[in-house]
Amino acid sequence: MKFKSLLLAGSALLTGTAASAGGYQVTLAGQKNNGMGGVGVGLSLDQAAMFYNPGALAMVKERGVHIGANGTFARNSFVAAGGNQQRELRNTVTTPIGLFAAFGPSEGKFRAGIGVYTPFGSKLQYADGWEGRTSLTDIDLKSVFVQPTLSYAITDQLSVGAGLVILAHGSVNLQRDIPLPDSFGHVELDGKAETKLGFNAGVFFKPSDKLSIGINYRSKIDAEVKDGDVTFSGINSPVFQPRFQATKFAATLPLIATTSIGFGVMPTENLTIGFDASLANWSAYKTLRFDFDQQVNGSTFSESRREYQDALTFRLGGQYKLTSGLTVRAGGVYDESPVKDGFVTPETPDNDRLSGTLGASYSFGKFGVDISGQYIGIKKRTQTQDDLINNGTTDRIAGTYKTNVVVAGLGLNYSF
Amino acid sequence: MNTSNLFRKAAPLAVLAGLGLTACQPDLEKDFSPSNGSADFSNYIAVGNSLTAGYSDGGLYLEGQQQSYPALLAQQFKNVGGGEFVQPLFTAGQENGSGYLRLAGFTAAGNPITANVTTNLAVRGGTAAKPLYTKFVGSVNNLGVPGIRLSDVETAGYGSVQGNPFFERITPDAQATQTYLARVAASSPTFFTNWLGNNDVLGYATAGGGASFLTTTADFTAKNAKIVDALTANGAKGVVATIPDVTNIPFFTTIGPSFRATLAAANVPSAAPFVYTTGTLAPGQPNVRTTSTLAAIRDASGTGALLLTLTASPYLALYGQPSGKYWRDFYAQARPTLPATVPNLSVFLAAMQIDTTKAFGQSTGNPFPSILVLDAAEQTLVRNATNNFNIAIKAKATEKGLGVFDANTFFAQVATNGIVTNGVNNTAGYISGNLFSLDGVHPTPRGYAIIANEFIKVINNTYGAKVPTVNANDYRGVKFP
Repeated sequence: MKFKSLLLAGSALLTGTAASAGGYQVTLAGQKNNGMGGVGVGLSLDQAAMFYNPGALAMVKERGVHIGANGTFARNSFVAAGGNQQRELRNTVTTPIGLFAAFGPSEGKFRAGIGVYTPFGSKLQYADGWEGRTSLTDIDLKSVFVQPTLSYAITDQLSVGAGLVILAHGSVNLQRDIPLPDSFGHVELDGKAETKLGFNAGVFFKPSDKLSIGINYRSKIDAEVKDGDVTFSGINSPVFQPRFQATKFAATLPLIATTSIGFGVMPTENLTIGFDASLANWSAYKTLRFDFDQQVNGSTFSESRREYQDALTFRLGGQYKLTSGLTVRAGGVYDESPVKDGFVTPETPDNDRLSGTLGASYSFGKFGVDISGQYIGIKKRTQTQDDLINNGTTDRIAGTYKTNVVVAGLGLNYSF
Repeated sequence: MNTSNLFRKAAPLAVLAGLGLTACQPDLEKDFSPSNGSADFSNYIAVGNSLTAGYSDGGLYLEGQQQSYPALLAQQFKNVGGGEFVQPLFTAGQENGSGYLRLAGFTAAGNPITANVTTNLAVRGGTAAKPLYTKFVGSVNNLGVPGIRLSDVETAGYGSVQGNPFFERITPDAQATQTYLARVAASSPTFFTNWLGNNDVLGYATAGGGASFLTTTADFTAKNAKIVDALTANGAKGVVATIPDVTNIPFFTTIGPSFRATLAAANVPSAAPFVYTTGTLAPGQPNVRTTSTLAAIRDASGTGALLLTLTASPYLALYGQPSGKYWRDFYAQARPTLPATVPNLSVFLAAMQIDTTKAFGQSTGNPFPSILVLDAAEQTLVRNATNNFNIAIKAKATEKGLGVFDANTFFAQVATNGIVTNGVNNTAGYISGNLFSLDGVHPTPRGYAIIANEFIKVINNTYGAKVPTVNANDYRGVKFP
């Protein structure tokens, strides 16, 4: 009962942003982790371990609830090839959240838990009349995963865990302008994803008080929209109207698999250092295809090349317990972009990222408060029209993108 | 410790985050700040013909003038020290200028129907065949004159009421004998674009080789040199443009393929006869009849040598029928200039050796007229002239160290591959392609914007400038009803 009401309370807030990991992946699950550059695979910090490494959950001593919310503030600038006018996003704020609750006997080897988080998402609203308007004007991609989890400590040093990942909610809203000979029309694609299952499994090994190692695998889930709505507007000429009659679309977006290894080092009782390396299998994202129920300007489908490549992420972070109540954190991330040169699209104006994070927690006995802040610099990226022509990707725009993102997070913990 | 203590500790972080929010908007504009390089844009002069004037849809009217490529260039030059740029704009109330074609709709078969815009014209007198337009007195930066050939630039009286009405319009009455070359020489530019010479091939080509003439290479070379010398006399920098191969434009590429497709759909075999005349079409001229087949007309796949002009469109449905419609229309048009020995239609038909009871386009007695057909020999003449003219243009530009916009190469690529502008596909196709206006020869505002961007690329490369380009998609293709 408690879970359900918590879930419902949370779902109203759920949304993700492309701004916090390569592609449209979002790794903002735990507030403590956020403050430490997002490390967590080799650590057992709190209930958010369900996301980072379910195998570590059994090693989290406290049973309890962790709920966190983030505000992400993206600042994107774009200048079209040959131009000099800087375009900026209309709206830049999203609020991804995470909720994790774990239960089990106080001295037992089991932990059971449930996690709710938003591992993929993107929301961008481009400036009115910007040069790339026929590729994209607005995108809002949301996903909510619900993950019931079991973790078991085989020995004091070794634990395993797995969660059933349910794509409980997925939605896409994608809008673009349609180029007509003498004007622009507009199309909105809006759909909900089918419920799908995947898994999240991990192993956690802590050979000594000073060292821990974790391995985690999160499987791919194909977010599939079967019966989305197509809405055309602004197509006024009776010559063009008959060419834009579709009302339904179908599309599939891969929510890709990730394999991670993490290390934790505890040189003293108060200091914890984590290092994670992750491989995201973005190469599963080859094309973005929409199938329509009727012809759209002469075709019943549209296809656009993505050709993403697998990408590595390296995270380093640490926390230091200053007083019995206060813990401070810092970290950094280097995140390879899955998007190859000449394949950048306005949905994910992506490049390699370098991030710095800060965080702190204060605990009042059973209650704890976490805050985190991140600054993510996405490297400037330029693609020319020649790049696009060579790659067969002229459906997007040539120019230079640069994005910076600030993420502020607040988390609350309660231990039973 | 209590909560207020916590928030004291958290406050610096919150402040830090707050600073990040306001400070993190990336500034790309500084990377792309415009500069004039070694060029001085304070007095930009545009020299050319209808393409430079902003002619579109078979006419010169205000909207086309406002979106001419020189107007767009001048607008972009404002970022880098460009001065005022005066165009001989038609005024409100006379905004339709010479009149132009509009798209009125489509036939049931999907063929476009065009109509003439005849209201709010800037006509002050003259005759229907040769109107005179409302004068624009004062200095002008856009010296684009529709219809002018390079061979015309030293013709005295070209700006008089007997001359070119578009040049007459901007020529002060007191200087009616001023040649175009003298007008250009008096413009004292600091920067110029020069795109003359298209009409030295175009007039002959659009008449299917059946009227007008090709300028000789010697005449072209000499007059091109004089114009460029006049423009550079005071050390001005500039860009010249080559002449595109006109056989790539929709005027020649639209009708043949649709005619072939229509006949194929009606199960007319491609081996059916197609008879046409070659050479100048006039009474007393030896109009040689060539008997070929429909297969000789270029189809959508590019097979076949014969190009049909856009102006052939009204007569194609008469193929194979006993019809004199073309000859009656031709007679009506030619009548004012016909000699007294040709007093009426029947004498005219006899002089032309036409029998309108024979099947039009199928019989040697009633051939398809050469004015509507550009055959292989004529195409070769046009192509050779274009190549020779372009050699002269490039050589003179090299001599003066000017930039060259190779419009011939550019439009050949557009004809083959189209051109994508910020994610929008454009092709050289008629109406659907966005680039060419309803006359099939002159660009739309979109086409002119793309031309302006190509000029800008050459300017930036030649003079180390950073003139920003325009977003071509902000400019329309063909206007639909």
